[in-house]
Amino acid sequence: MSSADWIAISPLIAVAAAAVVVMMLAAFWRRHAIVAAASMIGLAVALFCVLPARSAAPRMVTGLLAIDEFGLFYVGLLLKGSLAVAAVSYGYLRARGRDAEEYYALLLTATLGCVTLAVSAHFVSFFLGLEILSVSLYALIAYTRERARSIEAGIKYLVLAAGSAAFLLFGMALLYAEYGAMGFAPLAKALKASGGANVYMLAGMALILVGAGFKLAAAPFHLWTPDVYEGAPAPATAFVAGVSKVAMAALLLRFLTQLGATDSRPILIALSALAVASMFAGNLLALLQRNVKRILAYSSIAHIGYLLVAFIAAGPMGAEAATFYLAAYMITTLIAFGVVAALSPRDRDADAMEDYQGLFWRRPWMGGAFVAALLSLAGIPLTAGFIGKYFVVASGIGSALWALVLILALNSAIGLFYYLRSVVAVYARPGEEAKAADRAPGFSLAGGVALAVLGFSLILLGVYPAPLLRLIQTAIASL
Amino acid sequence: MQTVWPLFVYLAAAAAVPAGMIMVSFVLGARHSDRATGEPYESGIVSTGSARLRFPIHFYLVAMFFVIFDLEAVFLFAWAVAVRELGWAGFAEALVFIGVLVAALAYLWRLGALDWGPKPFARLSHSRHKDS
Repeated sequence: MSSADWIAISPLIAVAAAAVVVMMLAAFWRRHAIVAAASMIGLAVALFCVLPARSAAPRMVTGLLAIDEFGLFYVGLLLKGSLAVAAVSYGYLRARGRDAEEYYALLLTATLGCVTLAVSAHFVSFFLGLEILSVSLYALIAYTRERARSIEAGIKYLVLAAGSAAFLLFGMALLYAEYGAMGFAPLAKALKASGGANVYMLAGMALILVGAGFKLAAAPFHLWTPDVYEGAPAPATAFVAGVSKVAMAALLLRFLTQLGATDSRPILIALSALAVASMFAGNLLALLQRNVKRILAYSSIAHIGYLLVAFIAAGPMGAEAATFYLAAYMITTLIAFGVVAALSPRDRDADAMEDYQGLFWRRPWMGGAFVAALLSLAGIPLTAGFIGKYFVVASGIGSALWALVLILALNSAIGLFYYLRSVVAVYARPGEEAKAADRAPGFSLAGGVALAVLGFSLILLGVYPAPLLRLIQTAIASL
Repeated sequence: MQTVWPLFVYLAAAAAVPAGMIMVSFVLGARHSDRATGEPYESGIVSTGSARLRFPIHFYLVAMFFVIFDLEAVFLFAWAVAVRELGWAGFAEALVFIGVLVAALAYLWRLGALDWGPKPFARLSHSRHKDS
């Protein structure tokens, strides 16, 4: 490896080193504030390392990692998301008041898995990144181990993620058996040489889509989502929903684009089926929920459906729309779960609708942020979610996917109902009981700053998306 | 599909073996219900006591550490067979790998996970009082 290679992967090295440093701090200098600060500094250093890495790009490091504009864009996005999760976690864990230190080490290893996924261009790094992410998430989801729900969520995720990893491996093995290549680029070459799709290729791709669909929580592989979102501590839920899905989607985008898989009709049909099933399952089941975390879980399933429409739309326009959508989705999800974390008392998460009754009158800023997140999820103008949805619809129309676009519009209308129902609760007059119980024990200065920055970006992207779009265009051009 | 049929034959054979075993033992097996039929067979000796013993929880913890650290040796063996080809760069990478393992061991030691006794994780419970 040359020194340029080291510079290219310096963000990954920084995150890995930060995880070890945080573990050592947890052992030898066990103070929550110090460990939290160290992990945030580590993530910030990794974020800073993206700049020199960009100057070394594009570059294949060891045949496993493709450090290009696309990968580094997602690395930056994931690191920012992770930083926000760490900031929000601080207040939440302080309110819980016990054994908070290991959480940050797990958060950093999970982030390492995410950034590995974003830059991997080989089945080996794909699986490695996925496993680093998954194993960290098992522990993060079950972190509040005094709550039975949390343990249940962790075990459910463990069993289902292990099962989906088996599907994924079998799919990779089939593709390798047929084409003798594990890197995405050699695989694409072998695929072209053999003259298009055959039964091995389709079976392999189907199995890989099952594995990826599980991580993305696309219907019909979404069954774990509501239970895990409900049981996991709110900041960990924010990570699962906001950061890990973005990483998986980035990898899938690279994989499908490089293989030219969207030229294959059966794969398009499979992706369309996933998209339609996710949109309907997410939105219709969300209507039945009263628990805020479960509503957000079903809403995230629906959003993966919208995202898949952009995946199906051919060409760079689809990839750009998907990338913008993911950025907007990550910001929005982090705000929503960040507010849940800030409001959570010591012994449970603030996931009942009553916790949000009149939030706007009690805490105008937090209520405002929560409403902004809900409106962005619904796709109301002046928010990032609207621009994201606009690009997805535009890319769908550009590829003449009329049926999918119509279903997307119909589902947005259904979704509006449960988002607005939550908004109404936030603006309702608070009862005397709620006023008396008004506390935000999980709120910290760091979390407040993170929520403010996220909220600001949400509005900024909604009214002035041009700079991010330019960045995304250079990223997609390198794919 | 022409080349896939051996797979289906294999699947059928794989299903037939356990199904056959169960069928044969169902047909040939003796069916009787005596006083001792439901009792566990311990080489002809009547078993005494309950099988539900209470192990110290530490037993599992130490067993888990053993498995984890033992497994890491596998990676070192993989490096060892190619040590000359990999040169100093490979040596440095193996050092980093071992360094992370040592850090993990130091973490476990400081946390009290290696102490055998009635009060493990003394440090965890101590810090709980200090921080909350």
